[in-house]
Formats: sequence, structure tokens, C-alpha cells
Amino acid sequence: MARLGRSGQKTRKRSPKRLILGVFIFAAAALVLAQSAPQIRSFFDPVRTTVGDQLGGSDGFDVLAWVTGQTARERRIRELEAEVRDLSRYRAAAISMAERMEAYEEILNLMGEPPARGVTARVSAENDGPFAQTILANAGRAQGVEPGAVALNEGGLVGRVIQLGEHSSRILLITDFNSRVPVMGEVSGVRAILFGGRDGLGSLTDMPERDEFIEGERILTSAEGGAFPRGLIVGEVRNVGGDWRVEFSMADREGGYVQMVPPPVIAEPETVEAQPISASPAQGVRQ
Amino acid sequence: MPASSPRKKKSLWSQTGPTPRLLFGAFVIATIGLLGLTPKEFFGLSIAWPYAALWGAVGWGRVGLSVRPMLLLIMFGLIQDVTFHAPLGCFVIVNLVCYGASAMIADMFDVMNEPLIAILSPVLLFSGAFLVLWLIASTLEDHPVRAVPLMASLLTTGIIYAVGQKIFDLGRAPGEGVGQAT
Repeated sequence: MARLGRSGQKTRKRSPKRLILGVFIFAAAALVLAQSAPQIRSFFDPVRTTVGDQLGGSDGFDVLAWVTGQTARERRIRELEAEVRDLSRYRAAAISMAERMEAYEEILNLMGEPPARGVTARVSAENDGPFAQTILANAGRAQGVEPGAVALNEGGLVGRVIQLGEHSSRILLITDFNSRVPVMGEVSGVRAILFGGRDGLGSLTDMPERDEFIEGERILTSAEGGAFPRGLIVGEVRNVGGDWRVEFSMADREGGYVQMVPPPVIAEPETVEAQPISASPAQGVRQ
Repeated sequence: MPASSPRKKKSLWSQTGPTPRLLFGAFVIATIGLLGLTPKEFFGLSIAWPYAALWGAVGWGRVGLSVRPMLLLIMFGLIQDVTFHAPLGCFVIVNLVCYGASAMIADMFDVMNEPLIAILSPVLLFSGAFLVLWLIASTLEDHPVRAVPLMASLLTTGIIYAVGQKIFDLGRAPGEGVGQAT
């Protein structure tokens, strides 16, 4: 029954393979033992997750669905459904916050921002030359655009109308170096003046010496100077090499349309005729 | 007298070399393994899916040790670790131990020509592999894991191997080197 005729030479030839097998088994055992440490196990988690996604994350490969494009459509539908779920949460939170804010404003008797009325226009031309960064919108005075109107898109503040025609408006983008927008941090409340940088990010100047922005917080218009309404989204602040820079949110949503809303109008205070103030005895006026 | 008797025609598989056989066996293992990721129920009955890599470990080990089967078994073992959510290396150990044991039995006995050994050795090897797997799993999980699903898979693995063991025969005599196949 036992195998006969084994030569010593064969045994010697196979010995390296036995050694290799032993090394492999030892390495596998060492790998298993090493994973008893949570730090080492967590090191392999991304790999496992990725491979697991590839192996078991899909619903199987359907050639017909792939050819007809149904796979892509279904993937898009799943993405949109996920987005709708996220947005539903945000909507619920927004409704809740709006109700609270309404109550607070009522308690404080606060004058809120007037509702925006604006003109939506298509961006008909963009100027990305060496001079001022501007865009041209196909709505002007005839459509109700006002001088100095503030331009917005889905992402937030785009710029300000600097040239108004009958049927067109030229908008100076906030990414331009010559643009100046008073802004503030949404959370920190730190005020600064924003202007466009040469690298596509916004630069901040005239910041207070002691206060700092919070990394990643949203930057909103502060309405100082009266050129822009308060609270328009400008972007997010990032610390780049020790400097605070702003990633413009309008750049993420370039749908080709802008809404131009009138600039805020702050009524000048009425002049009241000065009347002599008669001092009362209780104030202890020197005679 | 000329040889007028008709020669027995050799099958395509018998003329195939060890490398194509190894690749085909690996393809079968991968296919069965991938099919195992899909739902395995027919008419409400759950099927115990075989551990296909063990077929390769037992079959390829019958001709002695070689590096390429080892690498394939390591690869299959790692994939099994991921799919079964086991710590990486568990199934590698099982596959390689089974492969080494198969080679050792083939080195000690004539597994090709002795019917009793030819039947008993796979039974022992599969049982040993599942025992090692159960021990590793129980040790790592800190409690004795369920043995019934493993037994069911052991049966499925053994029965299918008995039917299709030729697929995992590399076509060499045990101990025969590469290029010496007859």
C-alpha cells in the first residue's frame, strides 16, 4: 500500500516546496493572530469593505439591462432616491427652524429681511479674460432689473450688476480680484471683506486680529455697506497655508441661470427739527 | 504484421497538460464560489454550498507540492475570508493545510492505484479541513460555532468532488516533476 521506490533526490527536490508551504501557513496564522488587535483589524477594514462591496454589493450583472441602459437608469434612480431622503430631513429641519425663527422675531418685534423679488435670466456670455471677470445675462431694465442688483444662482451669491442695458445686464463676479463683498462667518460671526483670488479661491481682508474663522464654516454676506442683503451664501472658509480662503459655492452650481434681485434699500432717517430740551430739576442742572 | 487494431482514442482532457488543467480547475472553483454568493434557495429549501477551494486543495495536492496551486489557494482563501467575514487568513490556513495533507498522503501512499486510499483520503482530508475550520472559527469567536451547517457543506463538498474529481487531477503521477508527464 505504501509508495515504494522513492529516491532521496526527489525528497530533496521537494523540500523547498514544503518549506514554502510551511511559510505560507505560518504567515496566514500570523495574519489571523495579528487581527486580534483592533488596530490591525481596523487596518484591513477598508480593504474588506471595498472587496465586499464588489462581491456582494451589486444585485448581479444583467447584460440586457446593461445594453439597454436600464442599469444606469436604475442607478440614477437610487441616487436620486437617496438625495430625496437626505433633502426630506433637511426640509423638516428647515421648517422647524423657520417656525422657531418666526416665533423669536415675533417676540423680539424684529424687522426681518424683505422677501426677495427678482428677475431670472440666462447667462448669455461669460468673460474669463485677463480683465474683470464678468458674465452677461439676457435681462435688463426692460425686464425690471435694477442698477446694482445682486445676482444669485443655485449655489449662492454670484455677483453684482455693474452695467445695465435695456435687455442685458453685466454682472461683476465675486471671484474677480476687484470685487469687494462684506462677509461674515455663519458660526463664528467674524467679519471680513472678500475679494477674488487668482487661484479661484476667495481671499479675506480686514479681519479682526483676535477672532478666527472656523474651518469649513459657511461664509455669508454681512450686509455692511448696504450693497448686498444679509445672509446670502458665499462659500465655505478653508485654512490654506495659514491664510483663510473661501471656496465659492456658486462655482459648484453653474446651471446657466442667475436671479437678479434688487439691492437692499435702506431708507434715510427723516430729519427732525431740533427742539430745545428743558432740563428738569431732577437732573440737577447747574444754574 | 502491421498494427491493424484500432487504437483507443484519447480524450481531449487526457491530452491536456497540468497548467491548463490547473487553470480550468481554478476557473471551476471561482465560478462555483461566485455562484455561491447568489441566493441559494430552491422551493424554500436552502442549499448547503460546497467549499469549492477544498476540491482544488485535495485534487491538486495529489501530485505533490507546487507553488502555483499554493498561490491560487491563498487567493481563494482570502476571497473566502472576505465573503464569510472571517479574519483574513483563516481560510488560507484551511486550504493550505488541506493541500499539504493531501500531498503528504500522496507521498506516503499510492493514491492513484489503491482504491481504498483513493476513497478514504478525500474523506479524511475534507473532514480534517472542516474540523480545522470549526476549530479556528470557535477559537476566534470565543464559543463553539454551529457544526450542522459545516457538516452539510462537508457533505455537499465531498459528494460533488466524488463526481467531478477528474477536473482537479493535474494529470501527473505523484512526485513527477513539471515536463515529465506521460
